[in-house]
Amino acid sequence: MVTVGVLALQGGFSEHLSSLRKAAAHVSNPSSNFDFIEVRTPEQLARCDALIIPGGESTTLSLVAAQSGLLEPLREFVKVNKKPTWGTCAGLIFLSEQASAAKRGGQELIGGLNVKVHRNHFGRQKESFVTDLELPFLSQKSDDNPTTAAPFPAVFIRAPVVDRVLTDDIASVDDKAENIAPEVATQNSANQVQAPKGKVEILATLPGRHASNKAAEASVEGAETQTVAPKGAGDIVALRQENVFGTSFHPELTDDIRIHVWWLEQIAKSYE
Amino acid sequence: MTGNDASNASAASNGTAIPSSSKSDFIVKAGLAQMLKGGVIMDVTDAAQARIAEEAGACAVMALERVPADIRAEGGVARMSDPGKIKEIQEAVTIPVMAKARIGHFVECQILEALGVDYIDESEVLTPADDTFHVEKSPFKVPFVCGCRNLPEALRRIAEGAAMIRTKGEAGTGDVVEAVKHMRTVNRDIARAKSALQEGGDLAIRALAREFECDAALLKQTAELGRLPVVNFAAGGVATPADAALMMQLGCDGVFVGSGIFKSGDAAKRAKAIVRATTHFRDPKVLAECSEGLGEAMVGISVNSMKPEQKMAGRGW
Repeated sequence: MVTVGVLALQGGFSEHLSSLRKAAAHVSNPSSNFDFIEVRTPEQLARCDALIIPGGESTTLSLVAAQSGLLEPLREFVKVNKKPTWGTCAGLIFLSEQASAAKRGGQELIGGLNVKVHRNHFGRQKESFVTDLELPFLSQKSDDNPTTAAPFPAVFIRAPVVDRVLTDDIASVDDKAENIAPEVATQNSANQVQAPKGKVEILATLPGRHASNKAAEASVEGAETQTVAPKGAGDIVALRQENVFGTSFHPELTDDIRIHVWWLEQIAKSYE
Repeated sequence: MTGNDASNASAASNGTAIPSSSKSDFIVKAGLAQMLKGGVIMDVTDAAQARIAEEAGACAVMALERVPADIRAEGGVARMSDPGKIKEIQEAVTIPVMAKARIGHFVECQILEALGVDYIDESEVLTPADDTFHVEKSPFKVPFVCGCRNLPEALRRIAEGAAMIRTKGEAGTGDVVEAVKHMRTVNRDIARAKSALQEGGDLAIRALAREFECDAALLKQTAELGRLPVVNFAAGGVATPADAALMMQLGCDGVFVGSGIFKSGDAAKRAKAIVRATTHFRDPKVLAECSEGLGEAMVGISVNSMKPEQKMAGRGW
């Protein structure tokens, strides 16, 4: 039995639980057995073999996690015990080593993905959108019968994107990799001391959004040296580093359970 | 996929009552409300209060010129806030900023949309601008939340395009009794719709829709889901962590706190406590901890002692 938790402090946790339950029936390894639970306390987290951190408000998530004595247990879960963890939207922010456009005074992050995210990247709610996204990792890779997955209906709600990968150990599933300028972190941030070392795999980019993105433009011109990848590179919206997976969009808000199935299959494999 | 899963509030997963052309628009509008669930939305009147709310863990703030308790005390016509106030609050925080427009005042809504607010509350707390029509909300890009006292009222607002619902309660009183009444009424109405569908199918749903004066397709969707097809928050009288947890246990998805925070003795402490109580709403030990030593709650007005014409919940239909 593999216990998968969904952090239920605030946000879209019931949607993830619902998607997970549907997805469990489609996991290809029939011997895999899943138990899905809501996680609000360190005791509940201790029961989990894997965890989803849902969308919500990232500032709320980190303040309530701190109040609930969950920050350190979460860091240990993700970075020391290296258990499979998936963050969507606010969850992706929470799992990043650094965030820009954070609230005044900054906000606590768990880390695990050696990247810098840009919060509310596309702007306010009227800039939220749904778009078809190519997700090569959902395609069948078998040699005899390779198939290309249909586009995924990706829901972006006040979404973040990954602005910078803070290591030069990068792999990308598509040809845009060369455009994504790696920047090795030089900040003396405390987080960087224990930043994860593994390869950052870029699993999906959203092409051509930068040109119309005033927020990103503004931050380039701002005081910070370079906070976004060069124009035309596409925004990184799905990535993985070792045990940590992040998406800036919300698969749990659609009927499409392919990413949930894929993630559960990865977990089933790792616990085989 | 039928969207019959009651634990999933996703309106997106059941498009039967929503025209497909605007479906992705609605997914995005209702989706933001889904991301607010389990959270507390706080009324704030300036940047300083907004920062206190954000630091306390509010999942959004409602920008307004006067909190309902003051609107009540001062009387006069209550209108949309000064855009300058809203901008000041937008600049101060990174969480979603909502703002109120008068019932039926679609130009105030156009202005709020132009300001880039993340949600518009077409609110009975302000003085209604139209005694016949609520705002036609679907054409707006910005999503709307509206108040209700019962299921029919909620479904009428959803039919107009509201992507989030809240109980009306009785704003500015600090008395939770009306919020409880409205939540229980919604729950009772949903139970009736469910049993109508089970016992009499579509015919019974149509008969009930006639009685409820609401859209039959939305009523059927509600009966199938066993809950409102959009996120439903509690509002109007929540003043303590226990009030918030009470509303959550009655089945709300989150809470609005209006005058309850900044009309109390220690706003920051109370705000944090209400946020914590909303997450751990089923854990009495945590609730006891966060209810302790909060200082003075807002004085409040007992709804029982009010004349009908003093109540705001009767505005709108």
